[in-house]
Amino acid sequence: MDLSFLTVQVLSALRQAAFLFLISSGLTLIFGVLNILNFAHGSLYMLGAYFIYALTLHLTGPAGFVIALLAAPLGVAVVAVVIEMGLLRRIYVQEEIYQLLLTYSLVLIIDDLAKIVFGPEYKSIPKPDAISGAITIFGGTVPVYTLLVLGLAPAMALVLWYLLYKTRTGKIVRATSSDREMADALGINMSALFTLVFAFGAILAGFAGALAGPARTVFPGVGTEVIIESFVVVVIGGLGNLWGALIGSILIGTLETVGIVVFPEFEMALIYLLMVAILVVRPWGLFGRPLKVKALSDKNLGMEAQEISPVHFSMHPLVRLIPLALLLLVPLMAGRFYQYLLTQILIASLVAIAFNLLLGTTGLLSFGQAAFYGVGAYTVGLLATKAGFTPLPALLLAPVSGAVAAGLIGFFCVRLSGVHFAMLTLAFGQLVFAIVYKWYGFTGGDNGIQGIPIRPLPGGIDIASTQAMYYFALAVVGISVEILRRMRSSPFGATLKSIRENSQRAEYLGVNVKLYKWAAFVAAGAFTGLAGGLYTLMEKSISPDMIHWTKSAEPVLMTIIGGIYSFAGPAVGAAVFIVLNSYLVAWTENWALVLGLILLGMVLMLPGGVVGFINEKARGALTKRGWVRKWLFSKSTAS
Amino acid sequence: MAFLEINGVVKSFGGLRALQDVSFSVRQGEIRAIIGPNGAGKSTLFNVMTGLFPPDSGEVVFDGVRITGVLPFRIIRMGIGRSFQITNIFPRMTVFENVQVALFAHHRKSRNPFGMARRYPSVAAEALAILGQVGLSEKHELSASILSHGDQKRLEIAISLASRPRLLMLDEPTAGMSRFESRETVELLRTISREQGLTLVFTEHDMDIVFGISEKIVVLQQGGVIADGTPAEIKANPRVRKAYLGEETTES
Ligand SMILES: Nc1ncnc2c1ncn2[C@@H]1O[C@H](COP(=O)(O)OP(=O)(O)OP(=O)(O)O)[C@@H](O)[C@H]1O
Ligand SMILES: [Mg+2]
Repeated sequence: MDLSFLTVQVLSALRQAAFLFLISSGLTLIFGVLNILNFAHGSLYMLGAYFIYALTLHLTGPAGFVIALLAAPLGVAVVAVVIEMGLLRRIYVQEEIYQLLLTYSLVLIIDDLAKIVFGPEYKSIPKPDAISGAITIFGGTVPVYTLLVLGLAPAMALVLWYLLYKTRTGKIVRATSSDREMADALGINMSALFTLVFAFGAILAGFAGALAGPARTVFPGVGTEVIIESFVVVVIGGLGNLWGALIGSILIGTLETVGIVVFPEFEMALIYLLMVAILVVRPWGLFGRPLKVKALSDKNLGMEAQEISPVHFSMHPLVRLIPLALLLLVPLMAGRFYQYLLTQILIASLVAIAFNLLLGTTGLLSFGQAAFYGVGAYTVGLLATKAGFTPLPALLLAPVSGAVAAGLIGFFCVRLSGVHFAMLTLAFGQLVFAIVYKWYGFTGGDNGIQGIPIRPLPGGIDIASTQAMYYFALAVVGISVEILRRMRSSPFGATLKSIRENSQRAEYLGVNVKLYKWAAFVAAGAFTGLAGGLYTLMEKSISPDMIHWTKSAEPVLMTIIGGIYSFAGPAVGAAVFIVLNSYLVAWTENWALVLGLILLGMVLMLPGGVVGFINEKARGALTKRGWVRKWLFSKSTAS
Repeated sequence: MAFLEINGVVKSFGGLRALQDVSFSVRQGEIRAIIGPNGAGKSTLFNVMTGLFPPDSGEVVFDGVRITGVLPFRIIRMGIGRSFQITNIFPRMTVFENVQVALFAHHRKSRNPFGMARRYPSVAAEALAILGQVGLSEKHELSASILSHGDQKRLEIAISLASRPRLLMLDEPTAGMSRFESRETVELLRTISREQGLTLVFTEHDMDIVFGISEKIVVLQQGGVIADGTPAEIKANPRVRKAYLGEETTES
């Protein structure tokens, strides 16, 4: 390897690390103080890039560029302050997942707004002549701009270090980050501190965007790419730890550069593999420690926690037959479009209900369910195409492969909980995605597999017809949902709920908590795999898109929309989601924006979801009439 | 061989020696108090004994079996129940379900994924009986999170009793209860211990209770045992009088 090549590669790795550090330092700082993993951090980066783009349209020349470079992050900070004071602040006392989802709704909203304002195409940002050339170092050609980045990023890091270690406010920030309870007890004004830290984190992200924009390009959706990279960095380094973010950035920056040169095929997989490897050995990251997150006292935030009651009335068994009757009869009268729509809803419902066995019942937020969906779908697709399997045996193997994948992945994940669990499942999910995406020889790579031959079922039932497929899916999903329902009301389900409520106490009942979490994870994986298999039968084509992490977010959204603490909630959410999706896509380009706004509204106003809301109202209105209560509802139990 | 033996247990947190060379033993059926000022290491000792974390050195032997380093759920299955100083229940489940789920675990039914939880009449009857014992029958349909502090403490005792322990360890069982509730709870514990031959180890700051029901007392101070004996011996012990009882007046 010659020196010029090495120089170019090293500088390119460092530049990558510099961008990563700017983004992830803000992310980790916010997490350290606010305990919120900010999904929208990538979108703030994107805003930084768009702002400098818009500014340089008007400000030209070196001076203009410098002004734009400084003004863009400040603009992002303003947006961040609005977000923090207007939205985030209202849910600090809520459960972790609502904070995560609120920031996720912002991703959908900000990305789509960017598309509306700036258009869907890639934008490149012009650099002044002075910094757009290249120079030769050790025979290698290096863009001047890279050197600028390598000067400015460490300068920013120094500023950060100074602020954190040499100022009074910085000391408070660090103290809060290392022991929030103590800081809370000392009566530090948390509201002001949170706003400050969130804004400062946003400045770092905005600066990263403004600096990276001219070097890369900017487009709507760049945020979702950037955020996953930065999650990897902060999780490797240890959530909330700045040194961890630094080391993580250097590791990932180097690995990306080396990966592209040495294993271009598996560069993406390598990153997730590294993350998984590190988390398996050090579950809390290189510099992290187990989180001991206690709810903040209400007084320093000036609000009270709103408890989402999982105690529901359960429906009378006869009442439950109504939706089943409708599902059986309506498609006979409806056209193929509705049959297809309903089939989609059925499949999505199974995914969401299986997911909620983890979230609502066990209290585990899995962000990697798309992996099992994909594994099931590819099992059926590959068996049908390459081994000539008929639908039934192929479909029977889908839950098996889903369970095996979940068994392997779950083995490493179940000792974690909360955000760490979410991140590790996300990493495994992306690892599966990266493998499927690149393994052209076996999975068809990013092309996927089209025209999968679906032979008729025994008895000559041809599920290639929309109506037959619908009833087939109804049977499979119906049986699965009934199994999942029984599971939730069984002693096993009761034990999972006890783990959700208080895993330590559950352990002290003599319950092997990890084993139970693992069992729940495997069961959810099996049913998700089955749903994936049905998808293949319905669509007759598969692609790695269905394994991407944004797909893993879908069951989360459906569950929150429908209601986390009710069995039917996720199915209701799935229906809402699919119907909105099909109609809005026809009606507007900005389906993500609408979805984001709905999600935001749900998180802020109806955290119990649609079903939770109905339950609440029904309890008020109907229990007054004894006979209604007797007929519609049986005894109250915790969901 | 004693029923429960603590041999030379040492535990440090960073530089802080929370337990230094703690040794004592407990007979079967005994009611034993562990007392000491705040920060003496009582809860830490409970945590080491029930496997929340291992000691740095030393061992705990229960009924002839060494349980140091054994995982909590296995220790519980061997017949030890415990409650926590900070109430540890399942807040968003009903009072009944709190005990029911403990009984499922005890009867090894937790792993059944298909039977309906409410179709276990024997478990339900047992749960109601235990709730009756601690005086919570009337509240069994309520969500545990809305119970008063004293009721939550009692619920936790009920949960611990559900695993039918041979050794019950209670960390400040009456903290936060009214005088009346405390007395009831103490009576309850005494009755259970007598009727079921249960061995009881508890910590407590209320000296009336400690001297009222315990047969033997261990006194901890700064992580070390400074006295071990009958209530009369403890009362007469000059070190205890100086180190602990003297302080008691200045405490709450
Ligand atoms: N997990 C832990 N990490 C660090 N230090 C701890 C931990 N648990 C306890 N300590 C420290 O060990 C010492 C003993 O604490 P412990 O809780 O055992 O006391 P205690 O006798 O139960 O007091 P109290 O009467 O207040 O309940 C204290 O100084 C405490 O701060
Ligand atoms: Mg204590």
